[in-house]
Amino acid sequence: MTVLAGAIQILGGIALAPLLPGTVQTLKARLQGRRGPSPLQPYRELRRLWGKTLADPRPTTIVYRLAPCVVAATMLLTLLLIPIAGGAPDWPLGNDALVLVGLFALARFALAISSWDTGSSFALIGSSRDLTLAVFAEALLLLAIVLAALPAGSTDLVAISRGAAGSAIWSEPAHWCGAAALGIAILVETGRQPIDNPDTHLELTMIHEGALLEYAGRDLALLEWSAAARHWIVLVLAAELYLPHWGGFATQLAYLAAGVALLCVALALTETAQAKMRILRAPALLLGGCLLALAGLASRLAGGIG
Amino acid sequence: MSPLDWLVGPGVVLLAAGTIGPLIGLNSGRTLALQALGIGLLGLGGALVLFGAAPIGAGFHDNVSPAFGIDGLSGFFLATLAIVALPALLYAHDYLSGADRAPALLALSGLFLLSLAGFVTARDPSTLLAWWELMTLAPAAAILVRSSGPAARHTVFVYLAVTHLGGAGVWISLLALAHYGALSDPGSLVAQGAAVQALVVIAAIVGFGTKAGLMPLHSWLPRAHPVAPSHISALMSGVMIKVALYGLIRVLFEWAAPAPLWSGLVVLALGLLSALGGVLYALVQHDLKRLLAFCSIENVGIVALGLGASILFTSEGDSTWAAIAFAAALLHVLNHAVFKALLFLAAGSFERAIGSLELDRIGGLLRRMPWTGGAFLVGSMAIAGVPPLNGFASEWLTLQALIHAALDLSPGPAGVGAVASAALVATAALAAFCFVKVAGLVLLGTPRRPEVERAVDSPAAMRFAVAMLAACCVALGAAPGLLIPSLTGLAPQPRELPVEPGLAIPATGSLPSPWLLFGLLALSALLWRLRGSRRAAPVPAWACGQPVSPELRWSSAGFTKPLRLVLEAVLRPQREIAVESEHGLVRSVHYQSEIPHLFDTAIYGPARRGALAGAAIARRLQSGSVRAYAGYLLGLVLILLLLVRTGAIG
Repeated sequence: MTVLAGAIQILGGIALAPLLPGTVQTLKARLQGRRGPSPLQPYRELRRLWGKTLADPRPTTIVYRLAPCVVAATMLLTLLLIPIAGGAPDWPLGNDALVLVGLFALARFALAISSWDTGSSFALIGSSRDLTLAVFAEALLLLAIVLAALPAGSTDLVAISRGAAGSAIWSEPAHWCGAAALGIAILVETGRQPIDNPDTHLELTMIHEGALLEYAGRDLALLEWSAAARHWIVLVLAAELYLPHWGGFATQLAYLAAGVALLCVALALTETAQAKMRILRAPALLLGGCLLALAGLASRLAGGIG
Repeated sequence: MSPLDWLVGPGVVLLAAGTIGPLIGLNSGRTLALQALGIGLLGLGGALVLFGAAPIGAGFHDNVSPAFGIDGLSGFFLATLAIVALPALLYAHDYLSGADRAPALLALSGLFLLSLAGFVTARDPSTLLAWWELMTLAPAAAILVRSSGPAARHTVFVYLAVTHLGGAGVWISLLALAHYGALSDPGSLVAQGAAVQALVVIAAIVGFGTKAGLMPLHSWLPRAHPVAPSHISALMSGVMIKVALYGLIRVLFEWAAPAPLWSGLVVLALGLLSALGGVLYALVQHDLKRLLAFCSIENVGIVALGLGASILFTSEGDSTWAAIAFAAALLHVLNHAVFKALLFLAAGSFERAIGSLELDRIGGLLRRMPWTGGAFLVGSMAIAGVPPLNGFASEWLTLQALIHAALDLSPGPAGVGAVASAALVATAALAAFCFVKVAGLVLLGTPRRPEVERAVDSPAAMRFAVAMLAACCVALGAAPGLLIPSLTGLAPQPRELPVEPGLAIPATGSLPSPWLLFGLLALSALLWRLRGSRRAAPVPAWACGQPVSPELRWSSAGFTKPLRLVLEAVLRPQREIAVESEHGLVRSVHYQSEIPHLFDTAIYGPARRGALAGAAIARRLQSGSVRAYAGYLLGLVLILLLLVRTGAIG
C-alpha cells in the first residue's frame, strides 16, 4: 500500500493540486449565485502560462530568476513529507513536521527576497505583509502540530496521523482546539479570506499575489502551481491529522478524499460568509488561535476528559 | 607526554609568538601566519579531544596555582574558536593592510585569541579569572586603537562598566565554587545546601549572562560590537559571547550540578526574552553592524533555550532528551559562530568598499561584489534558519527539545516548553523577515548612492575568508549528524547516538539533511532546466505601470512598517512629522521616526540616574575637611565599641 501512498503523494500532489483552488472558486461562485469558472480553470491558466514568454525585468539578479524554481522545488519536497491515508513510503526525507514548517519558511523567504530584486513597491507590499503574518502564523501552525502530536508523542507525521486515527480522540478537548487552530493556520497558508484575497490585485488587500506581480510565463506558472500545492499540502495534512480517519488503507483513502472535499467546501463557505479582514487585525486572530491551542494543551496536561 | 601535547604545546608557543611578533617588528603576514598556525593547532587538538582522544593536561582544582587542560567541552570551544579565527585572521591580512596602527591591532588580535583560548583551557580559579578579565580588555583596547573619538571612548566606557558590574557575578560564583572545593569535586556544592547553590547559580547567570549578552543584561553589546574592527567584531560576536556561555555551562552542568528546576526556568525565560527581544530590535535597526549585534543577542537566546530545556529534562529525569537539548545548544553555538563571523566579515568588506553601512543607502552589491555578496546571502539564509543550511539544523534540534518538553514532561514544564517552542518559531520567522530585509537592501535592487555604484569586490584573502565560512554553513547544514553524537557525549549524562550525516533522533520524523540539500538542489536544477531561460525578454520592472524610480524606493522602515504597527504596544515607536507650509502651499515635510531601545529608556536610564544621584549624596560625605574625617573616625570607633559591648562582635 505504501507504493500507492507514494504515488498519490507525488502524482496527486502535482496533478490534483490545482483542482483544489479551482473547486473552491467554483463553489464560491455558486454560493454567490454566479456560474463561475469551471474547477479545471487553474489547469487552463497553467497551460496558458507555460506557453508564454518569460519576462526578465532589469536590473535583476539570479536571485529573482531562481526564486520560482526554489519555491516550486520546496513544495515538491514537501509533498513527499505528508502521509497519505496514514502511510508514506520510506523516502530518505523522513516525515518530520518541523521540516515541513522549515520548508514553508524557505519558500516564503525565496519569494519575499525576489521582490527586493525588482524593487517594485507592489511586490514589496505583498512580501512585507506576508512576512509579518508569518511570524504569528508559523507559531500557530507549530502549536497545532504540537497538539496533534500529543497522543503519538512524536513529531513524525505518519506517527501523528496513526495516533489520531479512531474515534477515541474525539472526546479530547485538545483535539478540537488543535483543529480550530489549524483551521486558522490553513486560512493563512492558503492565502484565503478573511486573511488574504486570492481574487484581487488590489493594493489595499493583497498579500500573496503582490509578490507574483512581476513574474510572467513559466515562472508565474511555477508560482501558481506552488500556491495550489500549498492548498493540497495543508488540506491533506489537516485531514490526516485532525479529521476522522480509521480502517484499512482503502477506507482511509476514502476518508481522506471526503475530508479534503469537505475542507474545500468549508473554505468556500468561509470566503462567502466572511469579509476580508483588515490586515493589521489578522495578527489578533492568529494570536487568538495560539491562545486557543494553548488552552487545549492546558486541558490535556490537566488530564483531559477521556 | 602524549602525542596531543606535541600538537597543543607548539600551538600555544606559536600563538604567543604571533602576539608579541608585531611589537618586535615582525611584518603583518608573518604575524598572522604565526597566529593562524597557533590557533589552528590548538583547534585541531581541541577537535581531537572532542572526537574521543583522551583529555590532556590538568583537571580542575581549587588552589591558586595556574593549570591548563583540555577536556571534551573545552575542546569543542577551542575548535569553534579556531573555525572562526582562521578565516578572521586570513581576512585581517588584507583588511588591516594600510590601516593605521596595524601592528597594535595585530598584537591585540593575538592577545584576544590567547585570552579566549586561555579561558576555555584554564583549570583553576585564579587563571580562569585572569583570562576572563583579559578577554574583556583586549577588544576594548582594539576599539580604542582603531578610533579614539569621544563616541568610541564612551562606547568602551559603557562596555567596560556594564561587563565589569555584571562580571562581579563571575568572581562571586567562581570564588564561592573554589571555596567549597566544587571545581575539583562537583557535588560538594550541593552538599552545602540549596541557599549556597542558589547564590552560585544566580551569580553565574548574572555574570556570564552579562558577557553573553542575555537580555536584559545586554546593554553593552549593540554598542561595542559595531565599532570594533570587523575581524575583532567577528570574534566578539562569534566566539567571545559563546565563551561566556561556556562558563555558564560549566557552572550549571558541572560544578553546581544538578541545577535545580527553577534555574532551568530562569535560563529559559532569559532565553525567550533575548531571542524575541533581540530579533525584534534587530528588525528595526538601520545600521547593518548594529543590526547584526542585536541578532547575536537573539542567537544567544536560542542557545539559552536549549540549555534551559536540558535542565528541565535533567530535573525530570529524562536524560536522553537532556543530552539532546544540551547538544542542540552546543550545535547552535558553533553554527552561530560560523554565520555571524561570516556576516560581520562581509559587513566589514562592504564598509571598506562603500563607507557607511546605513541600510537605506546601499543596494545592488550582489552584482558589484559577487563573492562577498554571495557569501553574505548564504549567511543571511543560514541565520534566518531556513533549510538546508546550518541555522536550520540547530534550530530544528532546539525546537524538537522544546516540543518534547511539551510532550513528555509534567504539566508545568510542559506548558513552558509549548510556549517556548511557539516563541522560537516566531523568532525564526522574525529572523527570516529581518534578513530578507537586510539581504534585499544590501545586495539587490539598484545602487542607492554613487559610492555603491563604483564598489568593487574585496582583495582575494578577504573574499576567500568569507567564502570559507559560507562553505562551512553549507557543510554544517548538510551533515550536522556527524557532530551531534560527540556533543551528546559531553552532556552530564552522556547518550549514545548513531553517527550519520542527518539527524536521526528518536520520536521525531528525523532531519535527513544531506538528502534535503540534495533534493532541493536537484529539483531546483530540474525546474530551472524546464523553465528555460533563453526566451526571457528583458523588460523594465512593471510595478503595475508605475516607473520604479529612486524616489519611490522602499526603505528599511517601510518594509517593516506592518510589523511595527502590529507590535506598536511592544516597540513604542516615536515619530514626528513637521509640515512647513506657506500660504497654504506645503514647502517641506520633515519626517523623523525612532524606535527607542526600551531597555535603555526604561531600565538602564533610571538605574544610571539613580546611581548618579546616590553618588552625589555620597559625595557630600567627602567634604574635604579634616575635622569631618576625624569625626567619622570617632563615630566608627564608638560604634565598634558599642557593638563589642553588646556582644555583637568580638
